[in-house]
Amino acid sequence: MARKTPVLKATGLKKAFGPVVIVDGFNLEVAAGEAVALTGRNGAGKSTVLRCLIGAERPDEGAVEVNGIKVSETDPRIRRDVATVIDDLDFFPDLSVVEHLDLLARAHGVADPDGAVDEVLEEVQLVPQSGQLPGTLSSGQRRRLALATAFVRPRTLLVLDEPEQRLDTEGVAWLAERLLAERQRGLAIVMASHEPALVDKVATRIVRLGDRGRVEAASE
Amino acid sequence: MSKKSRRLIRSGGQPAPAPAEPEVVPEAPARTFFFLPDSEPVAVEEAELHELMKLWRHGRATRTLGQVISDSYVTVFSVVLVGAMVISTVINAQQGMTGCSTAACDTGRLLVPTAVLFGSWGLGLGLSRLFGPVLASAAEGSWLMDAPISRHRLLRGRLVLPLLLGFFVPALLTGLVAALSGMDWLSVLAWALAAGSGALAQVALAASEQTHERTWLLRLLQGIWAALAVAILALVVSVAAAWLPASAIAGAGTLRGLVFAVAGIAGLVAVWFVVATLRRLELIRRARLVSGGSLVSGMQGAMFALDLGLIRDILVERRSIERGHVRPTRGHGLGLRALIWRDLQRVFRSPGALVPLALSLVVPYAVDALRMSQLNPLLSGLALVITLVPFLGGLRVLTRTGGMARSMPFKTTQLRTAAMAVPAGLAMLWGLAAAPAFIGISGSGADRTIVDGLIAAGITAVAGVLGAVRWVTAKKPDFSAPMMATASGALPPTLLFNLFAGLDMVALVTAPLILGAPPVWSAALAVLVFIVLRGTFNMDDLRSQQEEAQKEMAAAKQARTEKIKVPRPTR
Repeated sequence: MARKTPVLKATGLKKAFGPVVIVDGFNLEVAAGEAVALTGRNGAGKSTVLRCLIGAERPDEGAVEVNGIKVSETDPRIRRDVATVIDDLDFFPDLSVVEHLDLLARAHGVADPDGAVDEVLEEVQLVPQSGQLPGTLSSGQRRRLALATAFVRPRTLLVLDEPEQRLDTEGVAWLAERLLAERQRGLAIVMASHEPALVDKVATRIVRLGDRGRVEAASE
Repeated sequence: MSKKSRRLIRSGGQPAPAPAEPEVVPEAPARTFFFLPDSEPVAVEEAELHELMKLWRHGRATRTLGQVISDSYVTVFSVVLVGAMVISTVINAQQGMTGCSTAACDTGRLLVPTAVLFGSWGLGLGLSRLFGPVLASAAEGSWLMDAPISRHRLLRGRLVLPLLLGFFVPALLTGLVAALSGMDWLSVLAWALAAGSGALAQVALAASEQTHERTWLLRLLQGIWAALAVAILALVVSVAAAWLPASAIAGAGTLRGLVFAVAGIAGLVAVWFVVATLRRLELIRRARLVSGGSLVSGMQGAMFALDLGLIRDILVERRSIERGHVRPTRGHGLGLRALIWRDLQRVFRSPGALVPLALSLVVPYAVDALRMSQLNPLLSGLALVITLVPFLGGLRVLTRTGGMARSMPFKTTQLRTAAMAVPAGLAMLWGLAAAPAFIGISGSGADRTIVDGLIAAGITAVAGVLGAVRWVTAKKPDFSAPMMATASGALPPTLLFNLFAGLDMVALVTAPLILGAPPVWSAALAVLVFIVLRGTFNMDDLRSQQEEAQKEMAAAKQARTEKIKVPRPTR
């Protein structure tokens, strides 16, 4: 059977901070409808790999392509196709929860932004907080808002760094179902996670990173 | 038959089972638990805890005070020398200005120190409200305030520093301005005392209100003092521009008694509020005390890096937490229009930022009235930078981390240009309102033609926007980058440049106007600055392209080398 065209293709990634090599010789291909979970101990290089994949960090060696386009964080095509939830998401201090989602939906040209925002807001259970400013949200609510910003806009690749962080048990269960549905609709997903329940339910492939971000084990 | 064979027969041909190994039962580790004795705990005084903390710190010092002074003798010497020079200059200026008896000098002598007096009252109140004024560090909040001690006695000492600062800083500032404006020394004392006592009363009032967790009265008073200060400055300009007769303003000497009376009354009010605060000091919540301490430590950290943008971020975040909730508004348009529309909604949501922008119009008119119209583009541009920064909150979030910009499907240049649209529109309106000052309407007559005045006002407005954008988008100091060798040690270059961020762009764009060159030079420089500030030349992208090109060249070179090395086919 012919292999699907990869949405994400990373070859020979190497990243070092000073003399410390974090990732060396990392390769990954993710096709549409696939979900890859990166696992491994703290400091194995999962977040660095993810940051290289989305262009937030420039690898010392290797290349990353999304839909055949070389990844650059400032390329509007990459910004359009890749939705990310990693730790550097910043919020406008003077815009409320619902206004953040409205702005993102409109910026991406969503046809019915109001409808999309209402749906996502309800799904992430932030309707009571819709008028709150981000500074007053709890850490779990902030994480839900960050996830909502990824779901309220079009995307072909979803990159998540420990998305289960600070979510309650119910929230983790919802996230697992949501990501499974995303995958089944044909979205490509790459996530780093320490949550076995999430990984088992969502991932079609698990890549365990060992020392220097080298792949220790990969399961189909 | 051997014994072994007989055993096998008895067991039916099966070998005898091996004796079972005795089951190993893990031994429970011996644990002992500590419980406090049942006796009543000894009462602890907060002074003892403080002494204990001092004792711990005592052993940690690596240098004695004498060594520190010895090492920093150049600094000490410089402070003494510069201090002496400043005092000498103040005395000389005071003596020089005393001789000036023109109407402008007389009114300035009275009004400028009075404006500073009201300004310092407003500033004292604002800072007190922002920080507490009674505050405690996070460590004290966690360790000392958990102990069963009297919080009242602990916090009593914390009230002293803000009160002292509240008195001495405004008194020194107002006294200095009064002396420089040429007042006699008795009047200088009166104005300094009034400023100090008044600000002391404001700080004491803020502390008293902190115990009640109220801020409305402080906000109201702060607005009144700020409005009075601006109104008096406008009066100075009006007299200098001959729009008002100088005779309308009384001399400083006639008001000296009144100012002494104000100082006395303010002192009594301060005592009243200090006593009231001391009675209720126990009631200040720990969260309120620690939040002030955290704010101070956060701002101290930002100041060490001279990251003024970060200081503003801390304040904006704090304000948004205080506000907590807004009435959500629906966006309009799609794509970049949605971004611009949101910026416009921000202006309507927080119209308070328009007040300083409108008040900054005083600057071009004041500069014109003081007959310094040549410097008007620079000074007014700088005032505009300060007042435009609050309108660039969206741009700040889009540039300080990559997260939000990465979520938007636009080029960096498009994002930045869209985020500049609303502030640029406001600056243009400001330029139109300030145009008469650039044309010249003071008593000395017109300085420029109407067209030249309009162009100068427009360029000043553009310079102000570009300066504000530069300030907002300035990168924080990178301590991992190569450093500059200075007399104070190694410093990252951005650390110094950030101090002048904003000022540099205004100076650059307005320089041709100030030097008398045709305005087209200023316009050309403004276009260049705009191209750079909108992120056309993204350094990361350029570096990436350069590396890519180098890799391709290396690959091509290697391919050529390999081609040469191909051996001839042999028969």
